[in-house]
Amino acid sequence: MNEKLAGFEEQSHTADLEIKVWGEDLTSLFLTAADGMFHLSGIEDYEEGFSAVKDTISLDAMDYEGLLILFLEELLYRLTEDYMLFSIEKLSINTDFSLKAKLKGTQIKSYQRDIKAVTYHRLNIRETSQGYEVNIVFDI
Amino acid sequence: MVSITDLKKISDYEWEIPVSYRADMRVPVRIFASETLLKDVTRDKSLEQAVNACALPGLVGSVKVMPDMHQGYGFPIGGVAATRYPEGVISPGGIGYDINCGVRLLGSRISYHDGKSYLGELATALNKFCPSGVGTGGHHSLSTKDVEDVCRKGSRWAKDNGFATDQDLRRTEDGGQLRGADPRFLSPRALKRGMEQVGSLGAGNHFIEIDLVSQVFDQKAARAMGLNEGDLALQIHCGSRGLGHQVCSDYVKSLQGVVARYGIELPDRELVCAPMDSPEGEAYLAAMACAANYAFANRQVLSHYAREAFESVLAGVVKDWHLHLVYDVAHNIGKIETHEVDGKSVKVCVHRKGATRAFGPGSEDLPPEYIKIGQPVLVPGSMGTSSWVLRGTSEAMARSFGSSCHGAGRVMSRSQAKKKIFGEDLLKQLERDGIKIQAGSMRGLAEEAPAAYKDVDEVVETVTKAGLAAKVAQLKPLVVIKG
Repeated sequence: MNEKLAGFEEQSHTADLEIKVWGEDLTSLFLTAADGMFHLSGIEDYEEGFSAVKDTISLDAMDYEGLLILFLEELLYRLTEDYMLFSIEKLSINTDFSLKAKLKGTQIKSYQRDIKAVTYHRLNIRETSQGYEVNIVFDI
Repeated sequence: MVSITDLKKISDYEWEIPVSYRADMRVPVRIFASETLLKDVTRDKSLEQAVNACALPGLVGSVKVMPDMHQGYGFPIGGVAATRYPEGVISPGGIGYDINCGVRLLGSRISYHDGKSYLGELATALNKFCPSGVGTGGHHSLSTKDVEDVCRKGSRWAKDNGFATDQDLRRTEDGGQLRGADPRFLSPRALKRGMEQVGSLGAGNHFIEIDLVSQVFDQKAARAMGLNEGDLALQIHCGSRGLGHQVCSDYVKSLQGVVARYGIELPDRELVCAPMDSPEGEAYLAAMACAANYAFANRQVLSHYAREAFESVLAGVVKDWHLHLVYDVAHNIGKIETHEVDGKSVKVCVHRKGATRAFGPGSEDLPPEYIKIGQPVLVPGSMGTSSWVLRGTSEAMARSFGSSCHGAGRVMSRSQAKKKIFGEDLLKQLERDGIKIQAGSMRGLAEEAPAAYKDVDEVVETVTKAGLAAKVAQLKPLVVIKG
């Protein structure tokens, strides 16, 4: 992924964690947000071989913001409950605020930080000249 | 951003953001803070978040903010808001993801003199008996039916299973069993997340700490609580673990579409809410009570294992190694209570997010031994600093819906703390100060460094000078267990 067109950056937040995420389109924004969340979880070490476990996600929401939160929650649940780190093989986001994702995963042994939740606090996906950006606050 | 010039000074320790500050405010904000603490909070978004909370339908009085306030999401941490029951709203984001995160204090008759040589062994034993750390479960693997039972009964489940005494239940807010809990309102995911985590500490700012009762300020109250200067005490700080997080996530999600149906407009969608007499509001209340009960049971089971840890080290070494519960308080919760507002008795739901109930003397919700002195209010400090035992006052009932502060309150973000402080250096510093630390990770330790928090002594000075609580005893940390 082109670093300039997509990325995330930790923002200052007194108690919780906030990241600013940007991407050239919604798909890249969602995928980068997932990368950002896994980064905050502190997954540094995992076995390669993402093809071992396959999964799918099918979600719908009222808007793209809601869809983004649901998408991240799905990945977070699999991480914290099943110790599964998923890479997204295919992601299609539709204009009716639904998405389908094909995942391939690998088992992890541990992660460094418990993220309690992905919040809706001041959530707003903004259109920029480069694509889209959003700030996400995680409760930890 | 709200600045100091927007505030009206009520007294040296109380300030107001009037309703005229923003058009969508239904009630004013009342901030309990010294001038120094106030300067801290104008640096982050806590006051703006308090103003946002003033938009909730059904609010009475004013939205209160405690001196340990800091920026959160939706509500600020340290926020207290009361909505008229049942037509007012309940907001899951005004309670938080860690439903019934709380703290309990256990006292002992073990003198520091007798116990000091065994602190290292006690640290190791607590670490062994009380599971802690990121993603770590407890000693128990429960069925879905068992989890439902925990959610219905709370600390009573712990008693039925040999983890609690009658006195433990009596000295827990609501007897450790919030009414109205109905597991039918929990998602399968919430139940699944509850299966492995009863009796586990978790990570983050949760801890178990052995303290020294270093100074008693109110002999009568301390005697009623069984706290003696020079003796050891134990604090446990944790909540409802994954089950509670899931309940909040489920309802913040499902209420997103509901607010428009009830004609509610909000400045932040994390504040989503529903009238308490609506099907959605009733469902959340029932699910929240389940998570609250899970947290009560969790802290109770951890207390049982802490008692076993003490017994394993001190039985036969000191005369009395028992730990008695002083009190257990919730600091992230919504409670249906009756308060006096404008001279009238009103039934309300008090949202306390990072605030502790602080009922004054005479409250019928208190166990008989505390009726005369008021409710014990537990204020843990940051790691390595003092903690405080206070008692609730009649003034708190009149001015803050019977609420007080819940801790020191952060001032520095986790990333700043990590940049400035190295876990290893901090560990050495704390050990030089005579504090034994058992920590899951050095990174986690640095994030929770005392420098990242406000001065708890000043926070306590503020609530006592504002009249919301009175000092009973100061505690100094000796051993800290962190996940």
